[in-house]
Amino acid sequence: MSKLLMRLYHAVSKALGVLPPVPRNLVITLVFLCIAYVVSSILLGHTGAENNSALVFVLAVVFISFLTDGYAYGIAASLVGAFCINYYFMFPYRVFSLSYAGYPVAMVSMVFISWMVCALTSRVKLQAMEAIKREQNTKALYELNARLNEEKNAIQLEADREAIRGNILRAVSHDLRTPLTAISGAATVLLSAEEVKNSEKNLSLVQDIKSDADSLIAMVENLLSITKIRDGTMPLNKQEEMLEEVAGDALLTIRRRFPTYHISLDLSEDILYLPMEPMLIKQVIVNLLENAIRHSGDHDHIRLHLFRQDDWAVVEVRDRGKGISPEVRQAVQSGRPLSTRLSDDSSRGMGIGLSVCQSIIKAHNGFFAAGNDPEGGAVFRFGLPMEETNDE
Amino acid sequence: MNEKRVILVIEDEKTISNFICRALTANDYKAIPAFSGKEGLSLFFSHGPDLILLDLGLPDMDGMEILKEVSGLPQETPVIIISARDRESEKVKALDMGADDYIVKPFGVSELLARIRTTLRRSDRLKLSQGSQKDVYHIKDLTVDIAKHQVLLNGEEIHFTQNEFKILELLCIHAGKVLTYDFILEHVWGPYGGTSNQILRVNMANIRRKLKENPSDPKYVLTELGIGYRMLED
Repeated sequence: MSKLLMRLYHAVSKALGVLPPVPRNLVITLVFLCIAYVVSSILLGHTGAENNSALVFVLAVVFISFLTDGYAYGIAASLVGAFCINYYFMFPYRVFSLSYAGYPVAMVSMVFISWMVCALTSRVKLQAMEAIKREQNTKALYELNARLNEEKNAIQLEADREAIRGNILRAVSHDLRTPLTAISGAATVLLSAEEVKNSEKNLSLVQDIKSDADSLIAMVENLLSITKIRDGTMPLNKQEEMLEEVAGDALLTIRRRFPTYHISLDLSEDILYLPMEPMLIKQVIVNLLENAIRHSGDHDHIRLHLFRQDDWAVVEVRDRGKGISPEVRQAVQSGRPLSTRLSDDSSRGMGIGLSVCQSIIKAHNGFFAAGNDPEGGAVFRFGLPMEETNDE
Repeated sequence: MNEKRVILVIEDEKTISNFICRALTANDYKAIPAFSGKEGLSLFFSHGPDLILLDLGLPDMDGMEILKEVSGLPQETPVIIISARDRESEKVKALDMGADDYIVKPFGVSELLARIRTTLRRSDRLKLSQGSQKDVYHIKDLTVDIAKHQVLLNGEEIHFTQNEFKILELLCIHAGKVLTYDFILEHVWGPYGGTSNQILRVNMANIRRKLKENPSDPKYVLTELGIGYRMLED
């Protein structure tokens, strides 16, 4: 029953929702009083003085008090109703009279009943409204919960996906490493075989196989480092290292791969002994040197310089080549990952190597910068904090 | 002339094993491939190789097990570990357990051959000397006289501190072998010296400077990043 009333209430408030509350309540009051009046008139025609107009008006008051806000309209309607009954539907008609016995009692009791009904309906209404509100709150809470769950799942899914991506990349890199080692090794064996050595064509083909396999190996090492850092699941395995030993090892690696290039090394007088993951820092230095070798066009003036600047251990790679494009400089400066499809032909292929450098340096809380020397040539420089920093 | 040296290659990856064996054969070694740990052990006992190349990641058993089995034997067969890059601790463990050297995948043929040569020479020398130590070591232009406590570089005497000399001496005695940080620390400062790694590193940096080492082309002391040091041989 109360549900039916509530539905009616909502239908009415919807229909009259355009009006502000006071006119709406007035309209509702008037409409129901008129309905009660019309129904009572019809009843009067059929049953005469023994009509039930009082009950009809009480019913109207019930509706009014239910559909309007507060008590006021219901109480006003009950007073108007009592007057109407007396005036229109009780003998003598069209006269307001309290002279007949029982009339005052009837009127007072009608008003009293109406008020009681008003109070009761108001309470019922309040409870129904509260119930609805509760229901809505519950629903909203439920929806919020569902949405949060959905978001949580999405985040979890994204994290899972990232982890899976890292795992796949690592697995692929590991699996690539073995066959690439075998290819490069087999090519080396062939290079010293008489059948290959004696044919210039064969020799150059095998040399190509060897050098491409070696580049791929270098790339796989880069991919492994980057998955290790980017997925963040593995913290850096830092240990205190002498920077000059790491740099020396990097130089050895480069010398093995590019025996014809001369790279000079300036060591610092200071002892640069600081926390780092040595293999990763070695990779940064190898990448920077390889970039200088491949992209600067300079063969003889590549310089690796280690020095201390305030609380930083700085590594600088300098060449006397053609310098770097603004694109590369900006990418390094902003810390954005470098696009692998740079327009400048000479910088193609720098992308992955420099991206790896950026990630590794960032994971060490260091700085990374690039620029051109006014006297010509490119300068890449990175610094690592001398002391362990904990603001990761 | 003399017999070919026999090298047992315990490596489950066929392609890797294949090129290693080809490279060894081309360089006048006799290569015996083994594709599992069990096969490796049985070939070791039946052929008595001069050297073992051992991959730590085998399908049927842990490479460490083989190392343990082989390293205690009177033949004193030298073992070179083949390992993946990101397993520093494994390498250190293997070296401390008696492996003579290690090589990291991906590796080049020339690097592998160089390590095999060094290890074989060292093992021959050890067998000849029967454990007795030399008093004077000559390495390229460097002369280290243990008894006189004297170091000469191109005939010129260089002064080393007590600990620097001890480190140098240790490296000379084990020339060609990788010495882990812990090994050096224990032998120079004692097992309970409680010395930090840093002191060793700083001493090493001083030694390198006194020997006028070029880090991109070291003549005497090679850095094994994250593992230790190795004295190069003649």
